[in-house]
Amino acid sequence: MKAKEGVLDYLNKILTCELTAIHQYFLHAELCEHWGFERLEHAVRSRSIGEMRHAEALIKHILYLEGLPDMQRLEAVHVGKTVPEQLTLDLAVEVEDIALLRAAIAHCATVGDFTTRHLLEHMLKDSEEHIDWIETQLETIKQVGAEKYLSEQIHKESQEA
Amino acid sequence: MKAKEGVIDLLNKVLTSDLTAINQYFVHAKMCENWGYERLHHHVRDRSIDEMKDADELIGHILYLEGVPNVQRLGTVHVGETVPEQFKLDLKAEHEMLKMLSDGVAHCTKVGDFTTRHMLEDMAKDVDEHIDWIETQMETIKQVGLENYLSEQIKKEGS
Repeated sequence: MKAKEGVLDYLNKILTCELTAIHQYFLHAELCEHWGFERLEHAVRSRSIGEMRHAEALIKHILYLEGLPDMQRLEAVHVGKTVPEQLTLDLAVEVEDIALLRAAIAHCATVGDFTTRHLLEHMLKDSEEHIDWIETQLETIKQVGAEKYLSEQIHKESQEA
Repeated sequence: MKAKEGVIDLLNKVLTSDLTAINQYFVHAKMCENWGYERLHHHVRDRSIDEMKDADELIGHILYLEGVPNVQRLGTVHVGETVPEQFKLDLKAEHEMLKMLSDGVAHCTKVGDFTTRHMLEDMAKDVDEHIDWIETQMETIKQVGLENYLSEQIKKEGS
């Protein structure tokens, strides 16, 4: 099916954001693992895998609309050297992502592409959940302090099994 | 643990290749799905996920060696417009990877980093298997013809 005007451009832009986010979250997850924060590692890794699923859905939809998915472009990957820094940088990515998704959803409504709009609305919901999770972590750090927060991120084998 | 000379560089180069391969194979898989070649789609998608696992391991190992994993760099993603073209491009990517891994193994031997060498050898084995699979497909196409080959890639429900 042929795409409506401007839709493929939006989809490729969102794809670039997702591909960048995958790399950033993945590296953050690995860093958390390296530091021994296994609980955090799992949370951040599933966020990265969530973005992979989004990328997959986007590529599929771009092909369905007879477009070419742009797999070559990558924006700046911002790597945090501490956990709070990572959370702040990831939050910035999600906020940017949401702004782009909202603009794309509005555009789809204008040109009357409701299936693409529906797909993007699902992604928007996931992004909002990510933001909620990150904000919760940042707030907890503010309330209990980074040290106490981090000590809770060390996986205890007997508990998680 | 501190890395031996040149090892981090080498690992980051392999990582870039892996990250590029992930994207290339993934888009090829999705194109196969779009064309209705479900069997092929699953194969190629699995290959992409294998590369993700390799990237995972590489990043972990670079951090262990107190290096900085470079996830910003991406090589050129070559997209094939037909199935045989995809095979050709993927084969080329795998051969380049194999060359890089072999050089890496040789370098690790020289500087005496045997854990990194062991990891790279495991990856080289996977690459060998990928190459073998792609070559088999290309040979089959040669023997039965493209149309017959492709018609076998359409998954029949119930089968």
